[in-house]
Amino acid sequence: MQTDMILQAIDLNKSFGQGEVLVQAVESVSLEIKRGEMILIMGPSGSGKTTLLSMLGALLSPTSGHVFIDGTDISSMKAAALAALRAQKIGFVFQAFNLLEALTVEENILFPARLSREGIAGARERLVTLLERLGLTARRKALPNTLSGGEKQRVAIARALINQPPIILADEPTGNLDSHKGQEVMMILHDIARDEGCAVLMVTHDPRVEEIADRVLWLEDGALRDRKSEQHAWVIDPVCGMRVDEWSASVTTDYNDEKFVFCSNRCLERFNAQPEHYIDEAR
Amino acid sequence: MLYWSLKTLLSEPVRLLVSALAVAVSFILVIFFSAVFEGESEQMVLYLEKMEADVWVMQKGVSNMHMTSSMVWDWKVDRIAQMPEVKEVAAILYFNGAVKIGGKDWFSYVIGISPQYRRTAPWAMVQGKSLPGPGEAVIPEVISQLTGVQIGDEIMLTDRPLKVVGLSRETFSMASAVVFVAREELGDLLEGRDQYSYIMVYAEPGVNAKTLAERIKQEIDKVNALTSEAFIASDRQLAVQMGAEIVRMMTMIGTLLATLIVAFTAYSLIARKKQELAITKALGFGNKQIYLAALSQTVVVTALGLLLALLISFTVLQWLPTVAPQINLSVRLHQFTSIAMVTLPVALLASLSAARTVAKVDPMTVFHQ
Repeated sequence: MQTDMILQAIDLNKSFGQGEVLVQAVESVSLEIKRGEMILIMGPSGSGKTTLLSMLGALLSPTSGHVFIDGTDISSMKAAALAALRAQKIGFVFQAFNLLEALTVEENILFPARLSREGIAGARERLVTLLERLGLTARRKALPNTLSGGEKQRVAIARALINQPPIILADEPTGNLDSHKGQEVMMILHDIARDEGCAVLMVTHDPRVEEIADRVLWLEDGALRDRKSEQHAWVIDPVCGMRVDEWSASVTTDYNDEKFVFCSNRCLERFNAQPEHYIDEAR
Repeated sequence: MLYWSLKTLLSEPVRLLVSALAVAVSFILVIFFSAVFEGESEQMVLYLEKMEADVWVMQKGVSNMHMTSSMVWDWKVDRIAQMPEVKEVAAILYFNGAVKIGGKDWFSYVIGISPQYRRTAPWAMVQGKSLPGPGEAVIPEVISQLTGVQIGDEIMLTDRPLKVVGLSRETFSMASAVVFVAREELGDLLEGRDQYSYIMVYAEPGVNAKTLAERIKQEIDKVNALTSEAFIASDRQLAVQMGAEIVRMMTMIGTLLATLIVAFTAYSLIARKKQELAITKALGFGNKQIYLAALSQTVVVTALGLLLALLISFTVLQWLPTVAPQINLSVRLHQFTSIAMVTLPVALLASLSAARTVAKVDPMTVFHQ
């Protein structure tokens, strides 16, 4: 029987090192995610967001606690079983896109299909649908090094969806995109959660996403906490003019003893190329 | 995974070609050592083959020519010639040792030829006469090319000066050259004027050589008689035994070199693609699948290296004798097949380093920028 609950963590802990150098990366995290939900994990840099995502994605074993994926406790599974589970149940979207450089767009998208029950032949129809939906049909034979950042991330999303997994885990998917492309990717992920009934769990610093998320989980010092409103410190990205939360932002730079905060690495790169230009424009 | 690994390999054709060439070099070494060894072995028994005798007769207890001495009284030649079913006989006096030519000692088969046995003389001449008289010698053309010694120049056989009167072809190997002198000259030197070393027996048509050899052994006192086939095989075996260890060692070094090069290539291919391996692991591919992909890359690189080695070897081995006539080369199919058989173990062994790297790839690195 299929239940609404697709991902559950119970009293999840992860520590690295021991003795005096023990670091508690994740502490007593419990959460439940239903199909079709879009959940954000936010928090300051170093708060344990990626570690938590890795444990929920069956990439990292917890020190203690349990993770249930589609009702199965994965905490004691062997590496091979975890790999098979990832192939069937989880789609990943990464900040760095992580496409395979030698493969074309459609080969990248079809790559995980080799691990599905239907195989590549069975995934061809879905490939066509995904290419159309994500606007990649004309680029299906292109290699990753000829794609823009937005196109790369759309390919990565299509790859995450090809095996129709019930869970999508996204780690800073807009981190390397400008605000326009970032917005586009967010909407795609939002629509996927709505239309395909996937649970989308996203680690992000991007406050724009809060508006389209069903829930926001605030992680601080490895533990989930209630975020207080006063912890927002809104500033303007000098490149794209977006409102950015300085308190949780990870993309920052110092220029002439002044701190600047950006919505993405793309904006930071542009700023670094012509800092005076953007400072003058912002003033 | 296999598709990805092969496409990754082919996406960098220059790197692939360089890797395959490096592997090819080590295989070429193995092929070259083997070709030299085969060539030398063949050359060392060429004189015996060219005589085309049915039976070879020698001193009792002797069964070789290489590194051996044999003495048979000359009256035994006549006795054998008179035996039924014997069509013809020929005999040589033989000595193996150093001959000083152009100031350098050349280890040689020195063949003492009698004028009545012309067929024991060199079969292919480049220049001069093939039948040396007293105080004369016929030397290999290759030694003449290497030392500059020409017809009319002097060489030394122990303490005896001899004048070069002919240059012969197909009589040189690095291990042993064939120098022809008058039997009278050599008999004087060896104090064996009434002796021969080997008697070549030519049977009447239809006579079984083995039966004839047995009969000679029974009827002639204190001799050994072998069919030409057995005599050549015995000499070849001795030559092979002497060189086999060296060739085996060279082959091992070449194979080890190939393994190291393929291992390095496989490791560098994997090391450069660690991030992509992490992606494949994160997507759900297991270590076994990724290792097979890495293995397929080493197999392709090794097979391509082998193919290049065969092509280059074939070309170079055709051309080499024209620039280095002293090297006898022989390439046989079995040499290539034995190299080809080494390929798979080399690829398997070489992929172990890649396997170790694959096992250590952490899928968590997909989160790194």
